Amino acid sequence: MPTTKVNLETTDLNNYKYDMSRCIKCKGCYWVEHTYMPGVKFSTRCPSNVWNDFDAYGAFGKMRIGHAMVEKKLDWSPKLLEIIYADPLCGACDVACKRNLDLEIGLSLEAMRVKAVQDGVGPMPAHKKIARNIAASHNCFGSEHGDRKGWLTPDIQVAAKADLLYFVGCTASYTNPEIARATAKILNATGTPFMLMEDEWCCGNTLQSVGMLDEARELARRNIDRVKSTGARRVLLSCAEGYRMWKVEYPKLLNIATADLPFEVVHLTELADELLRQGSLRMTRPVNARVTYHDSCSISRLADPWTPWSGERGWMGTVSPPLKRRRGTHGLYAQPRNVISNIPGIDFVEMIRIRENAFCCGAGRGTKEAFPTLASSSARHRLEEVKEIGAEVLVSACPWCKNNFAQAVREDGEAVKVMDFAELILASLEA
Amino acid sequence: MAILKEAYKALETIVGARYLSDDPVICQGYQSGPAGYENGTGYERVMTKLPGAVILPRSTEEVQKIVKICVRYTIPYVPYSTGFYGPRSHCHVGNELLIDLKRLNDFEFDEKHWYATVGSGVVYSQFQEECLRRGGYVVIGGGGAQASVIANLIGDGWSPLSHRIGLPHRRILGTEMVLPDGEILRMGSLAVGDDWYWGDGIGPDLRGLLRGYTGLRGCLGIVTRMAVKVLPFQPERLQPTGISPNTALALPEKRVKWINYIMPSKEAQVKAMYEICKAEIGGAVTKVPLFWRAIAKAECKEEFWDLWLKETPETVANFHIVRVLLIGFTSEEQLTYDENVLSDIMMELGGQPRRTKPSDESWIKNADSAGMWLMCGSYVSVDYVIETLKQATEHGPVYAELKKKYTPPLMPDHGDPGWFQTFELGYQGYSEFLIYWDQDEDTTGVDHFYLETSKMNIDHRFYTALIGPHQPLYLTGPKYGPNYHEWMLKIKNEFDPTWTCHPPVPFAHDEFVERAPWMHELKTWESPKKSIYPKWLEKQLAAEAREFRESLQERK
Repeated sequence: MPTTKVNLETTDLNNYKYDMSRCIKCKGCYWVEHTYMPGVKFSTRCPSNVWNDFDAYGAFGKMRIGHAMVEKKLDWSPKLLEIIYADPLCGACDVACKRNLDLEIGLSLEAMRVKAVQDGVGPMPAHKKIARNIAASHNCFGSEHGDRKGWLTPDIQVAAKADLLYFVGCTASYTNPEIARATAKILNATGTPFMLMEDEWCCGNTLQSVGMLDEARELARRNIDRVKSTGARRVLLSCAEGYRMWKVEYPKLLNIATADLPFEVVHLTELADELLRQGSLRMTRPVNARVTYHDSCSISRLADPWTPWSGERGWMGTVSPPLKRRRGTHGLYAQPRNVISNIPGIDFVEMIRIRENAFCCGAGRGTKEAFPTLASSSARHRLEEVKEIGAEVLVSACPWCKNNFAQAVREDGEAVKVMDFAELILASLEA
Repeated sequence: MAILKEAYKALETIVGARYLSDDPVICQGYQSGPAGYENGTGYERVMTKLPGAVILPRSTEEVQKIVKICVRYTIPYVPYSTGFYGPRSHCHVGNELLIDLKRLNDFEFDEKHWYATVGSGVVYSQFQEECLRRGGYVVIGGGGAQASVIANLIGDGWSPLSHRIGLPHRRILGTEMVLPDGEILRMGSLAVGDDWYWGDGIGPDLRGLLRGYTGLRGCLGIVTRMAVKVLPFQPERLQPTGISPNTALALPEKRVKWINYIMPSKEAQVKAMYEICKAEIGGAVTKVPLFWRAIAKAECKEEFWDLWLKETPETVANFHIVRVLLIGFTSEEQLTYDENVLSDIMMELGGQPRRTKPSDESWIKNADSAGMWLMCGSYVSVDYVIETLKQATEHGPVYAELKKKYTPPLMPDHGDPGWFQTFELGYQGYSEFLIYWDQDEDTTGVDHFYLETSKMNIDHRFYTALIGPHQPLYLTGPKYGPNYHEWMLKIKNEFDPTWTCHPPVPFAHDEFVERAPWMHELKTWESPKKSIYPKWLEKQLAAEAREFRESLQERK
């Protein structure tokens, strides 16, 4: 039986020809998993296809489009670029497909973007601007590099040397200093020494997400080397996108396994859960509010560790050696819920679509910059759900989610308070 | 020739520019294949085309206006609700308008009269959840929880739950459809007022026209709204549990329970089904193919094959399972009573209960047909029969025998004789035969097997579901009618004289056999001497057939 050599490199769209040619249009990628289907309301989980109803915007349409690209039946056009990039790559389609068919939907979508860059037509102009910002000032906003630690206040104690290194990221450094401060204060309050990178640069999330892999790889190498030189044993992220970059994308870019990283990557949600269990996180001040939690994609369904794989595909599409599929089961689902539920006074209420079925805020992975109407449409759609359950506070664990929701709340005058996970914990600590 | 600019503009005035597109990338997103139900067959490769444009209406009135424009400008069109039903629900001729009905997603539940009205874009799991939370339930068709309720009910509409709930046409109540000429037809009690409650109305019962045995695949108009009967279930919550891919509904064991029995022989298996039906217990009574168990056990495709290739023709032939769903519709005591009756039946027949999880992974809410593609990549149910339980149990082995000749390319299944179950408490029996293959292989054998099953059914006098628009009409029509084919075409010409509604269905499989050289050796029947089509279609189909022949030559 003839076999085909195949690997998981997104630099060659042909690696995903099989996956794209096996999509059966069950649209599991669009609907909330049927076991959890809540009825006719809040029944979808694809921000792109909610924003634009044509099948081309759902993963089932994109698989047909990607397959036609491989077969050289489609030419590049503005519409094709829009369809490829108007998508937060939130992973809902990927975990949905892996419930039944194990097709690599998420990687196929990434490979289409890489091809756009290789062919010189991608990414979108807004993404190119971000790339220029990163090249010039090491952050995605084009802000002064020297201001990166501007969030630090005198009351925050940073260790010169510690096992834990807090990688703050561009958003918490520049646009959301309240998240960085809250994170640092939680660490101080729990007696957890931490250090910062001497010269922190962007994690490269947008670059990797839009297919600019060479540029993203450079940042990955640089950042990993810098952490290695500090001797840190754990890297802490308060940003979900940053967490995914360090835990999943850096190993992917460098063709190593997550387990091969010389340090452990943790998100604040899991560290807080750990500190709570150890007894050092003591949340005693009541927060009297009805609170709900939004699963940020990059710490939930996109968070399974990476393991490189290459092999052969043969009879009936089977592969060898065995391929451990990433199905989104390693997401940080329980940890944030455990922490929030332990805050006194909180009336914690779940949204209708949670965990792997959560509806993405629509901002991440370069979407808000290039397609702001998609991001605002998704945020508003999700906020309808927040109102449906009567929550007063919407908590997420990613600054991109927070900013996107907060903007929609502001513009629409909604009576919902949007907070980051770190801010909520800080509010529960005694002054 | 693309859709006329003037016609396109007219369509745009109905839905607005946002919901109409002829962009090639948008149209590519509506390709039928390369994979999916019945895709990866010759029929799909030869008979499907990308749409010339796609339109997304929001209401019956918009659909009506679209259809009228199509008729005025002779634009072929196809209704499309989810696109899951493979090539037969996709465009068959060039420059066809695909009418995507997903925005017709209105839903109303009438709690007093215990029915719901659904639009074409509402899918089964949505509907079932709305029912379950009110203590009711419906059948989620075997096509899956993601299938459009309307599309499934006018095509198939059954599952193991049909053991008690019954056949789909009994659950279709007031219905609204746009006929191929653009007129709106209201059926049942809706014909005489604003009442969706009754399926029966004045005049002849047009539900037969709507669906026949398994529907006409959109060639006789577009159903836009339908009232569907909801049946009482039980009041306790079926709780979703787990993280994907390992999710299930936790069953309230005192009210809902699956029990698997292994029977000593096929005779005992069938007898048990009869006895359960006589006792009028259970919500579902079914035998399942052994490879479904392997799918359920396997963590991935590779593990499936490790498990399945360990089986043998003997283990398959000696696998006699009866899966019974017990439902305490009225009380816990009723379930206890039913379980006792079931135990008595099984004890007499030597059935051994197996440990069965107190959960439901499939059928109640998540009819999980998508898993069928895991094994090989391509799948179709080559036929299904609703007849007696006796016939249902004899049908599959005949298929299995014929299938040997076509394995490979069909999946090695150790002679599995398919799937059978009871419907309507045993007054009906159901049999379905499923085939699997890899679409990258030479699929001539798949195409041949599909057609040969028709001849086999004719020889064995099996009255099967896919004799209509799924097989050559002039092969099956004379044998089943004797003038079934002529009536079918008369009805088509009466309601759709311009043949703009999903052409060339119901003659598409005949067309496929004519076009595909590898099918000619099987053609043992007479085709009509004169063209059955109007001139425009005759001309277009001839041109497309010529184009296909030329593409074959080029490939050679």
